[in-house]
Amino acid sequence: MKGLILGPEIYFLAVATVFLFLSMMRPGARRDFSVALFLSGLGVAVTLAAVRMEGSLLHGAYRVDLFSQVFKGLLSLGFFLVVCLCSNLSGIQDERHSEFYLFLSTCTLGMMLLMSSTELLTLYVALELASYSLYALVPLRSGGQQMEAGIKYFLSGIATSALMLFGLASLFAASQTTYIDKLVVKLPGLLNNPMAFIGLLLTLCGFFFKLALFPFHIWAPSVYQGAANQVTAFLGTATKVAAIAMLVRLVSMSDGNTSLAHVLAALAIISMTYGNLVALVQKDFKRLLAYSAIAHAGYSLIGILSMNPTGYAAAVFYALASLSMTFICFLVMVKVASDGRDLAIAQFAGLHRRSPLLALALLVGVFSLGGIPPTIGFTGKFLVFNAAMEKGYFLLVLIAMINVVVSLYYYVQVVKAAFLLEPDEELPAISLSVPTIILTAVMVVVIVAGGLFPRYLFQLAEAAIQALL
Amino acid sequence: MELAGFPYLSAILLSCVAGLLVILFIPRERETLVKWVSLAFSGIALALSIYVYCAYDRMQGGLQFVEKLPWVEPLGIQYFNGADGFNLPLILLTGIVHFTGILTMWELRGRVKEFFAFVCVLVLGVFGFFMSMDLFFLFVWFDVSLFPMYPLIAIWGTTRKEYGALKLFLHVLAGSALILPGIVYLAVASGLHTFDIVALMQPGALTPGQQRFAFLLFYIGFGILAGVWPFHTWSPVGHVAAPTSVSMIHAGVLMKIGAFGILRVAIFLCPLGWEYWAPVMAVLATIGIIYGVFVGLTQTDLKYVIAYSSVSHMGIVGLGLSTVTAEGLTGAVFQMFAHGIMTALLFSSLGYIYDKTHTKLIPDLGGMSRVMPVASGYFIVAALAGMGVPGFASFWAEVTVFISALKVYPALGALAICALVLSALYMLRVVQRTFYGPRNERYARLPDVSFGLGLPRIILVAVMVLFGLFPRLMLDLIQTAVIPFMGGFSR
Repeated sequence: MKGLILGPEIYFLAVATVFLFLSMMRPGARRDFSVALFLSGLGVAVTLAAVRMEGSLLHGAYRVDLFSQVFKGLLSLGFFLVVCLCSNLSGIQDERHSEFYLFLSTCTLGMMLLMSSTELLTLYVALELASYSLYALVPLRSGGQQMEAGIKYFLSGIATSALMLFGLASLFAASQTTYIDKLVVKLPGLLNNPMAFIGLLLTLCGFFFKLALFPFHIWAPSVYQGAANQVTAFLGTATKVAAIAMLVRLVSMSDGNTSLAHVLAALAIISMTYGNLVALVQKDFKRLLAYSAIAHAGYSLIGILSMNPTGYAAAVFYALASLSMTFICFLVMVKVASDGRDLAIAQFAGLHRRSPLLALALLVGVFSLGGIPPTIGFTGKFLVFNAAMEKGYFLLVLIAMINVVVSLYYYVQVVKAAFLLEPDEELPAISLSVPTIILTAVMVVVIVAGGLFPRYLFQLAEAAIQALL
Repeated sequence: MELAGFPYLSAILLSCVAGLLVILFIPRERETLVKWVSLAFSGIALALSIYVYCAYDRMQGGLQFVEKLPWVEPLGIQYFNGADGFNLPLILLTGIVHFTGILTMWELRGRVKEFFAFVCVLVLGVFGFFMSMDLFFLFVWFDVSLFPMYPLIAIWGTTRKEYGALKLFLHVLAGSALILPGIVYLAVASGLHTFDIVALMQPGALTPGQQRFAFLLFYIGFGILAGVWPFHTWSPVGHVAAPTSVSMIHAGVLMKIGAFGILRVAIFLCPLGWEYWAPVMAVLATIGIIYGVFVGLTQTDLKYVIAYSSVSHMGIVGLGLSTVTAEGLTGAVFQMFAHGIMTALLFSSLGYIYDKTHTKLIPDLGGMSRVMPVASGYFIVAALAGMGVPGFASFWAEVTVFISALKVYPALGALAICALVLSALYMLRVVQRTFYGPRNERYARLPDVSFGLGLPRIILVAVMVLFGLFPRLMLDLIQTAVIPFMGGFSR
């Protein structure tokens, strides 16, 4: 029965196979979206059913525990939510829809494998599976600057991969092992050795890239803008969750090394400040979200660099929070830009009349990103700051809060566009299907309720961290 | 879990939440229905706050109507509400201003549903802030009460509304950039890992150095919202830009959130820091009083006049807080209440005149008392109250503050009193030029305020006079909280 603990992974491999076969069929005869919606919904159920499973495979190279299962749950949820946005996949040519779903599911599969990898080479292979799927997804869009985005993403991606490989090699050279459970024991003593320290840092770079943390953020704005809206939604939600999970796993190996914390603190500060300041002048909504993601990478790193269980749990909570609040922004954007175009912030004008529900959702989403209570985004920040304060990083918290206030300026510009500006020409009301209305309402409720009642989510995050440490 | 009988305080909050939910499900064409619904729910909230105010046992004192629920145990967060002599006047004030504010906006046209929905959220935050005894929730309510200000001003406001809304929003939230680290710092530095205000109040929880540091964070953080000079610059712009009832709630209640935050968080939790920084507070407060008066002198826009008088009157609250005496504290809390009612009345009565004439510039008006005698009457009454004429609540508040200020800071107190006398002169000048003198013929045919529309002003005047004639109704209540607090404070 040992294979059963791989349930989610096997399931997503099957999903990918289904789409591989679908992609060989004639385009007109397919119903990609319905199939994808059904399969991804079932995927959430499968991963949730497997959430309590535990075990270890391949001589300890692959471990299934609560930490990995919780994140697999989040990833399958992210996959499902992004598929929900694809009812009108007009940014991508019809005949490529199956490939889109195929790469989306292989990417999810790769990230799931990543969550359970406890051996450095396994980890690298899983990461590359996810990365290469994304390299293919970004230029799938039809028309526009998708090629530029694709090449930028690919080149900077493989460059970071090279850095990461170098880091992995140094880690191995310093510690003579590639197993994380052995590294956990050896590494704290070894971190005074520059090779081990640089090795760990370079290994982290691979995930800094996914998280779009400074200085690995360069791809984010063009790729966010150039990729199809649904792909960007996936990039902005699911991949961030995976990156945070792996950073938690890798940083927790260092056992509270102060030098590492200082390096991470510097990166967090620069990332927040840079992201927020550049976001101030953005006109395009996706570019804005890209810079806001750079800033959020900084906030979530604060929880990780606190290197205490509360901090890791806060980072996990923050991953969940940013999944939901980023998603709701993309949801609104996809519905407003129904023809799959890029959306300028000013094009939200008149949204309060065209669709009050979407305007409300956008308000909740951006204020949650801005960290205004009672939203999940605020509670996430609060938990992160609480953990940092316990380590005595008062100044870091203060800088982060100042950043939050700076960021409110551009979030308010979005609210202003949606509620205050009037479009030049009268635009028709946006009609939403019933499932979309339900999905939007549920997301609004989740964001507010997650902010007001963080107890169970936080306990779940703590339990996941317990499994890790 | 600890519940002493029916949770009246939570019921107040629930009435706001319920109001919000009901409004959200009303079709937006049914504007009158939206107004009635919000009036009904604000009436419930008002009734409950009056009940809590009256039912509070003054002989027993202390924290009553306590509602305590564990919220996030690992972090020491609780849902903890309570009422004492400090927050009861402000809960009552919020109830009154909310109710009269909705009546004042009865003639609102355009996007009615959204307006009243945002007002519900705003008032929910204000109520929550005043009654919360847990720092986490205190902060949540603080922000909940602030963010609706942006849409409320930017959509329904008037003069330079977008600029005013953004300036106000960013300024007051900049305060939260200091408050949140401060709150977390207190919870962690005390070693108690709790956000419970009562627990953190234990003497010795924080060292004197920590108290001085944290006090400064809270004083500036909340001081921005309280309109403490030099952090007040958002307030006149924001007041002027806001629609009438938002100005009422904003000047009447929101600025008190700042002052009350200084009291509840900074002074309660960092008493040694309070003592240390009190002279600085006194100087800033006095500058605020004088500055408000002199800048107000040069204004020609009536709303700016009221806004700067608010800066000056909030300076009186600050002066009272800075005396570190029981009288000063009592006067400050009373002044918060009195100023809330008074400014609400000023904005409310000006709102009617502005709706009819579409101007609030003093030179354009003139002789209004012959055009709309009743509407003018309300404004004049409020102006008199603002001057501190005996018979109004503000008289007692100001007298109490100034007596204690004169004892503790003779020079500053005297300066502040001189400034107040001057402000009386300029208020009289404003009244004379606006309501007497030659009549502007353009407005000669405008109707006077009807009884229904005048109702909110009548209520506000009645409250002013009630507490002006019987100040002990409130002073005694405040004393039940002030005296034990100052008694426990070793001098």
